[in-house]
Formats: sequence, C-alpha cells, structure tokens
Amino acid sequence: MYAISAKNLTKSYDGKTNALNDLTLTVPQGSVFGFLGPNGAGKTTTVKLFTGLLKPTQGECTVLDLHPVKNPCDVHRVCGVMTETARMYGQLTGLQNLLFFAQTAGMSRDAGSERAAELLKQLDLWDARDKKLSDYSTGMAQRLSLARALVNRPQVLFLDEPTSGLDPESAQTVNSMIAALADNTGTTVFLCTHQLRYAQDICDSYGIIDKGRLIAGGNLEALCNDIGYRVKAAFRLSEGDSLDGFDADNGWWQAELPREEDMPKLLKKVIESGHDVFEARLIKPTLEDVYFGYVEHRGVAQ
Amino acid sequence: MKLLSSAEQAVVNKDFGEIWNTKMARNTIIVVPLIMVLFLPVMYLVMIVFIPSEQMNGIDQMMKLLPKEAAYFSVKQGMFYIMTNVVCPMFFLMIPLMASSVSAASSFVGEKERSTIQTLLLTPLSLKSIFKAKVLSCVFLSGITTAISFVVFACVISAGDIFLHMPFFLNWNWLILVLLLAPGITVFGVVFMVLVSGRSKSYMESVQTSGYIVLPLVLLFVGQFTGLFQLNALILLIIAAALLAVDLLLWLVAARSFTPEKLLR
Repeated sequence: MYAISAKNLTKSYDGKTNALNDLTLTVPQGSVFGFLGPNGAGKTTTVKLFTGLLKPTQGECTVLDLHPVKNPCDVHRVCGVMTETARMYGQLTGLQNLLFFAQTAGMSRDAGSERAAELLKQLDLWDARDKKLSDYSTGMAQRLSLARALVNRPQVLFLDEPTSGLDPESAQTVNSMIAALADNTGTTVFLCTHQLRYAQDICDSYGIIDKGRLIAGGNLEALCNDIGYRVKAAFRLSEGDSLDGFDADNGWWQAELPREEDMPKLLKKVIESGHDVFEARLIKPTLEDVYFGYVEHRGVAQ
Repeated sequence: MKLLSSAEQAVVNKDFGEIWNTKMARNTIIVVPLIMVLFLPVMYLVMIVFIPSEQMNGIDQMMKLLPKEAAYFSVKQGMFYIMTNVVCPMFFLMIPLMASSVSAASSFVGEKERSTIQTLLLTPLSLKSIFKAKVLSCVFLSGITTAISFVVFACVISAGDIFLHMPFFLNWNWLILVLLLAPGITVFGVVFMVLVSGRSKSYMESVQTSGYIVLPLVLLFVGQFTGLFQLNALILLIIAAALLAVDLLLWLVAARSFTPEKLLR
C-alpha cells in the first residue's frame, strides 16, 4: 500500500494560473520522500492538499487510503504536519502547547504528559519546557513544532522545511530524528526542503517540482540516469603525466564510467599502462548536482 | 450527553487564556462593564440626589417619557426611573455586545493573525467541533461578564431605589433584557465576528467593524427620547424573538463559511 498518492492533482487559487499542475506521485509506506523545489514551486500547496487544508481544483490524493477532502479528521489522526506557517500558541509554555495538542488528538492528560516529556527530551527542549513559546528562539520554536507534529505518533509525517532557521547542530538532531522515525517506527515522511545535502542523507526517493509541475521523480540513481549524470573515475597522476580520453580538472584526470563496478578494472588498466597513480576516487553525482541539472534543463527547455 | 468532548474542552480552555491575554479584549471585558453598570449609574444617581431639580434643564420633556404606572413619581424619582428603564438598558446591552465581539475577534481573527488557526485546523478535531468550541468559549465568557455586570447593576440600582424610596426596579422589560436580549446579542456579537473574520486581516480591524453593530442598539434606545416610540415588554419580546431568529440564521451561515480555505486566505 502506498502511504501517499496523488493523481493528476491540480490546484489553482485564482482560476487562471495553477499553483500545482497535474501532480501524480506515490510514496511507499515507511519511506522518506524528499520533495524538492525552489520557493513558490508548489511544495506547500501540495502539503496543504494532502492534509485537507485546500481542496484540489482537479484530481485527487490520498493518505493511507484516506481522502483528505472527505475525511480530513481521519487524515489528521494518522498524520503529523509541520509547516512554516502553522504556528503554536505564544502565551502557552512549550509543555502546555504540547499538552494542548495531545488533548486535541484525543490523548488522555497522563498519556499526553508522558508523550510531551519524551519529545521535549528528544528535541533538547526539556529545560525550556516551562518557558513561554514567545520567549523561545526561532530554532527552539521550530523544534517544538516538530514535537507537536509527532505528538500523536503519526504514521505519515509531512514536514515543510523542518530545518530552516536551525543551527547545524539542531538541524543534525532533527534530521537524525526523522531518519530514526522512518527506520524504527516505519513512519512515512514527506519532506519538503531546500537543504539538499540533508535531504540526500535521509531520503530514499525524491520528487523535483518547479513552477507547479513535477519535473522528475525517483531515487538518486534513477534521477541520475534520467538526466544522464554518471559516476566519474578520477585519478591524480605524477606532474606532467596525462590520460587519453580523460578531462583535466584541478590536478585530477576525470572520465565518466558506465557503471560504478567498472572502477577496479579501469584502475588496473591505468596502472598497467605505466602511469603512477597517487590517488584514485569515484565521484558520484550529488543530489545538488542532479537538482540543479534538472532545474537548468527545464529552464533551457522552456 | 456531554456538551463538549475533552478535546473541545481543551480548545475552550485555551481560548479563555488567549482572550484574557489579549490586552484589548481583557480591558474591554473589565472596563466597559465597570463604566456601564457602575460608574455611569452611580454618577447619574449622585447627580439626581445632589443637584436641585429646578436647576436641571428639560425636566418636563423627560417626565413625559414616564409610563402611567410611574406618573405619581417625584421629579427625582422620575429621573431615576428614566435612567433605570430608558438609559441603562442601552448601557447594559453594550456589555454582552462588546464582550462577545472582542472575545470573538481575539478567538477567531486573532488566531488567524497569529497564524495559529492553521495548526488548530491540522488537529483531528472536526471543523464543526472547532467552531462549536470557539463560539461557546466566547458566548460563555461574555455570559459570565454580563451576569456579573447585572448583579453589580442590580446592587447599584437597588441602592438608588432604597435611597429614593422607589419600588424594586426589576420589571418585565428588564427580565426580557437579561434573559432573552442579552443572550441573543451575545450570540449575535460572536457570529457576526465569525463572519467578519474571513475578511478581516487584523484583530484591530475586526474590533473596529464591531462598531457597526453598536449603532442600531444606540439608535433603538436613544430613539425613545424623540417621543416617537417607547420600548415596552412586548416590543422587547418581539425584538428578542427576531434577534434569536437572526442569530440562528447567522450561526448557520457562519458555520458554513468556517472552512480552511476561507480561514487561511
């Protein structure tokens, strides 16, 4: 069963331009899906459609086979949502905020207190539990929002820029938590982010969206293959030496490999042909390379 | 059957705290009743007692407003009767109107302004439950304010009645005002604000809009001084019935307009 699915999902706010255009995607249960795109690409609109805050203009979507338009409460019962625009109550303390949202999720006071304490400790907010949210720093408020999204032990988690505004340490904590959630509890994560390095560390598959259209989807390998990005072999040779069919780049001689498995054979060949190899390495395309490749490619195509 | 589930109760408690923490709402809920049921009636009473009747202007015109059953009152008694039955009802009804509209502005528009409404809409609570809990918290808060105000008002006016040797002030008019019109106005203030909340961008803007609903109330009571009409129990009963019908209609319209798309616009 897919945890999240969308078919021809379209949303227009003004009836003229589509903020989201014909989105079709599926996210398997227990996976971490990175939804990537520039500002205004339609990421937040997609999250709002999946969580029933918006009604689609066309198409449909489901979360664990539940329809967000028909059964928004059921969808909210099984999912946690963290978006930049969904804030918490400034006059309540961190703990009171979590207790309130635990209660609205139907948890008893005791169960809510226990869960709130667990999350506050995990997110390093326990010492600030009795501080009013209005006195929290941006990073602390962001972590509390994540705690709020997790309070009802969601099966599906929608996270819209969860690490924006966080210092690297906090971002690391949040990312580790997201990865652990998927690994240990089978939570499906739909992660909208700009932070491609973090996304590469924790996501299983990706969707790249630009101007409301999904321009690519799949795991990193599939994305690389689709755009024609390959693994490169790179060798550092003695000064003045060169390799035929290789490009020089900052003291390294590089060439694309059809497959990663071809590297040992190529290395052997280079050594056997009499070159002194000081260093050899495989350069894999990063998510950042692939993402910019797709965005540029789309720009050129347009 | 429980009126509110524990989740709805949590929303009500949270809203009480939030309204109380909104300085303007808190000040309105405290200061308006103090002025309307304590300061103004006491000032008026002191004025009636201490200023000689011959120094007051327009006494004859005022005395014409007295109904037949109060025709035997002295000038001072008559002035106090007019204050109690013509002027004070308007002051008194300002309380549920202002209390309900400022609390609803804080609860609905304030929540939208602070971007917390989206978070609330993402909870497993249904829209109906959120709407019900929010409306009830405003109605309840306004109801308590009105009830306490009436007790204070009754004490002030009773003291005046004793001092001026007049019969107890409570009559059919006041019973209809307190038991029907005040609750009707409370609900009206809240649902009106819910309807406005979709268009208002800020708490202040919505509070300013509530000024429009004060106007008909003032005209209704001040209009009596023109001599064209006089509000009696029957007219008040008809107004109350019409208001309750309007409330029901507006409640239905407001509940239908309470959708995420409108609230997050």
